[in-house]
Amino acid sequence: MTHNDYKQMIQFYLYDELGKDEKVLFEKHIKSCKECADEVEELKTLFSKISVGAKESIDDNIITELRQELRWAIRRENLKTNMFKQFFEKFSYLITKPTGLAFSGVTILLVGILIGYLFFNHNIPSNLIPVNDAENVKNSIDNNLIINNIKFIDSDPSDGEVEFTFDAVKHNRIKGKTSDPELQSILTYAILNEKNPGTRLNSINVINAIQSNKFDAEIRSALILAAKYDSNSGVRMEALKSLKVMPIDKEIKNTLIYVLMNDTSSGIKIEAINSLVEAAKKGFDFDSNDLSQLQKQANADANNYVRFQATNIIKEY
Amino acid sequence: MTLSETELIMKAQNGDPMAFEELVYRYDKMVLKLAMKYFGDSDVAKDIYQEVFIKVYKGLKNFRFKSGFSTWLFRITSNVCITYKGDKRNMHLSIDAEDDSEVENKFSANEDASPEQQLINKDFGQKINEAIKILSPNQKMSFLLKHYEGYKIREIAEMMNCKEGTVKKYLFEAVRKLRVHLNGIY
Repeated sequence: MTHNDYKQMIQFYLYDELGKDEKVLFEKHIKSCKECADEVEELKTLFSKISVGAKESIDDNIITELRQELRWAIRRENLKTNMFKQFFEKFSYLITKPTGLAFSGVTILLVGILIGYLFFNHNIPSNLIPVNDAENVKNSIDNNLIINNIKFIDSDPSDGEVEFTFDAVKHNRIKGKTSDPELQSILTYAILNEKNPGTRLNSINVINAIQSNKFDAEIRSALILAAKYDSNSGVRMEALKSLKVMPIDKEIKNTLIYVLMNDTSSGIKIEAINSLVEAAKKGFDFDSNDLSQLQKQANADANNYVRFQATNIIKEY
Repeated sequence: MTLSETELIMKAQNGDPMAFEELVYRYDKMVLKLAMKYFGDSDVAKDIYQEVFIKVYKGLKNFRFKSGFSTWLFRITSNVCITYKGDKRNMHLSIDAEDDSEVENKFSANEDASPEQQLINKDFGQKINEAIKILSPNQKMSFLLKHYEGYKIREIAEMMNCKEGTVKKYLFEAVRKLRVHLNGIY
């Protein structure tokens, strides 16, 4: 192997991507070649500085906003898919009838129009009013819709026209029995989607009061997601407390361990470890994987209480 | 520990929206970070985020566990980034592009470092971001997947749908260009 071949290997040596034999040869070479040895050190410095950038974290507000937008985008996708599905179901039913040929001609035309509509309108969210529909715009304002998020596409008035998009939101008021599944469904939605953390928190509190001893699977899943991922620590704590009231099962236990391992708030970790201690007292089964996670916390958690309680659980098993 | 990734994928494939969300939450910060580094523009990175996860949502039913989920996800991400043509906003990038300090502010610095060290790191980080811009799309993607996500060359090749030798060439060339660009700074 030539000196140049070794030079080309430096980078991959530092990545630990050389084969066993290549690595032995390379290490032997740098012992006798100062130029390559120096270059190893230089690249090592560069890579370690680059790796600092990899530790940067993303602002929680940005990620929360993006997740909410994604939920809406998925809903729009589902809506489109369902429209097509229903349409084609009806279409295939019709063409099996004797009058199928006549129907299929008309239907193909309609499909064309529908595809054209979906294709050319996919950028316009359903809650926006097209600019050329002046009557709709007027109705929106007359119906006391809240107009916000105005974004100009063309703000130049010199040609006598401007163009913009906006959201028209209508306030709804709902009063109903706490047992009403629709009301519960709205509150569950709010836990996951509402931008204001205070509202998310209130929704959890109301759900807590409603639940008593009947636990809806959808609400339970929403609380699990909130306990693990909500950007607000108050919401995470409240969601965790709500889960504590529910009978512990594998999924809730997994959530408690996840929170214990990943949450940055010691108060929330203490809540999680307390729930796990209670579960252990009631004889809940912890498998070897759970115990190894708890062992990690018992050895390395920054909080004394968490370490102490994690050790206690391990001793029980 | 929580539900295994395989369990989550299978639940999501059966239409469980919560399972899909949990799957997204496990990786979405990585995808966004990669897109931000790749484009140096947080608005474009946000578009990429949406496009990637909509593709994941649509394609998940056809995911057959032939590769790891993260490999599949980053294959989609790398495709979306490399083929991204941009919309009309991009045409104004040369005059409207946010400066690097704004992009940097979308990230929080590594909190373990001292304030002085954070300042030095931030300064060097900005220079690296500038240098990354000179790389070709494939060199940039290989470099980011290697140095920021820590993937092996074999995995990057799978994500970028090319041979390992090709990825090595991209990486070699990327590092060579960065060394020239950053000469004397590190």
